[in-house]
Amino acid sequence: MLNRRVIYFAVMLAVGIPIYFGYEVPPARMQAAEKLYDIIENYDVKDGEIALVALDFGPNTKAENQPQAEVVLEHLLRKRIPFALVTQYALAEGFLADIPETIVNRLQQEMPDEHWEYGVDWVNLGFQTGSSLFVQSVAKSKDLIGTFVQDVNGTPLGDLDVFDGVKTIKNMPLLLEFTGLVGVFDTYVQFFQSEGYVPIFGHGCTSITIPEAYIYLDSGQLSGLLEGIAGAAWYSKLLSEAYPERSAGMEHINNTALGVAHIVIILFILLGNVLAFTEKRSSDD
Amino acid sequence: MISFTSLTILAGGIATLAIYSFLIKENPFYRFFEHLFIGIAAGFIPIYTIKGFLWPQVLEPMLGLDIVTYPDGTLSKEYSTSYLLFLMPMFFGLFYYAIYFKKIAWIAKLAIGFALGYSGALTFKGFFAEMLPQLESSFKPLVVLGETQAVDWGQSASNVIFVLTLLSVMYYFFFTFKRSGTGSEAVATSGRLLMMVCFGAFFGSTVMARMALLVERMQFLLTDWAGTLGQIFL
Repeated sequence: MLNRRVIYFAVMLAVGIPIYFGYEVPPARMQAAEKLYDIIENYDVKDGEIALVALDFGPNTKAENQPQAEVVLEHLLRKRIPFALVTQYALAEGFLADIPETIVNRLQQEMPDEHWEYGVDWVNLGFQTGSSLFVQSVAKSKDLIGTFVQDVNGTPLGDLDVFDGVKTIKNMPLLLEFTGLVGVFDTYVQFFQSEGYVPIFGHGCTSITIPEAYIYLDSGQLSGLLEGIAGAAWYSKLLSEAYPERSAGMEHINNTALGVAHIVIILFILLGNVLAFTEKRSSDD
Repeated sequence: MISFTSLTILAGGIATLAIYSFLIKENPFYRFFEHLFIGIAAGFIPIYTIKGFLWPQVLEPMLGLDIVTYPDGTLSKEYSTSYLLFLMPMFFGLFYYAIYFKKIAWIAKLAIGFALGYSGALTFKGFFAEMLPQLESSFKPLVVLGETQAVDWGQSASNVIFVLTLLSVMYYFFFTFKRSGTGSEAVATSGRLLMMVCFGAFFGSTVMARMALLVERMQFLLTDWAGTLGQIFL
């Protein structure tokens, strides 16, 4: 009988060794992630347009949703597509402030001549309560500045350049949503649309919700999808290819660690089956 | 002098190890941090609802606290009495608390009935907005032609498998008539087996998600936490 703690220890080593030594293998191609990359890469932003980015994740799915959000927000900043950050999940408030600032600091180091500024390139609208009522209020609003009123710091949205010319949902051509919460994702699928208008919808999901997210991708309700850590790793690779000066994050190493952990688990499943089979045979004899 | 950031990283590392100590066995160290996390998570929601919504979007404009008086005595904007309309839903919401008083408990039913009504209507609307495109996309061609009008065998096979799975699974849950005959039983059985494949995929992706959590925590412990420990003690 194998002690379960031996399995835990083996898995911990399998994950820890690649991270500690910085060992990485190239990520597998993720077509759905590439689709989202192509959409953003080829998007020609017009004046008075803003992307709505919903970071609906907390510490419980940070492992998968944060790297996804990081690579996509980095792409938006590089392409100078202004965005508004929002969340329906209170525990995400910290991420809304930290993630863009960390990316901007990294981009400033890479390109000292370029400049990104809060209020011009992005805005943090903070936690919004009301679930589907909130999404519907945004979709139906004729005056989004009046709907949101102010940013998370209490600055009136009318005073921020990023919201210049933004009036209705039609000024939000890109909707990007990162979550592991199916109920939250559903509210955007169901209500973030108006008569004759559906935005381009990119989604970052956790591994658990991948099988369900594929349904939306297949039906065309999603335009692109980042599948867990693997999706973020492939997106990061595409960014590194397009911007060779870019300093990549931990996406590739994490993806490698995840792959090694999977191999160890598969080996333990095989070992468990072999042991169970041989035990059964010896007891039959 | 230890910085505040270092302290938070140290606390995060200790909390992570405490939670993982459950893998060895149930212990008070784990139990303490579990309760701590639940308490913090529960406390976040009311605080952020008040800070991010109730105060700036309801109470502040209603009380006129968002109006600034400039040095010359002029106001940044006129107070609008329409904000007082917020009192109506607030008062209606208070009906929920009538449930604690036996004599007027029936009043709570008004608020509950209203909530049930609007959530039912939203669900109804949302269901069609979500499901109709999926229903439409399930009508797939069984033979797909490529750009050169040649048969795309890969996509065709994918569509055939999709349609067979859809029909057999739906047939498995068709209980109106008694299934008779080996043919119909075979279709239902194949539906059950295909669902098993789906459940296997769900289980596999669940394992992957749990491993992703471990990867993130190991990264934190081996880089941020170990680095901070090194700075403090070495």
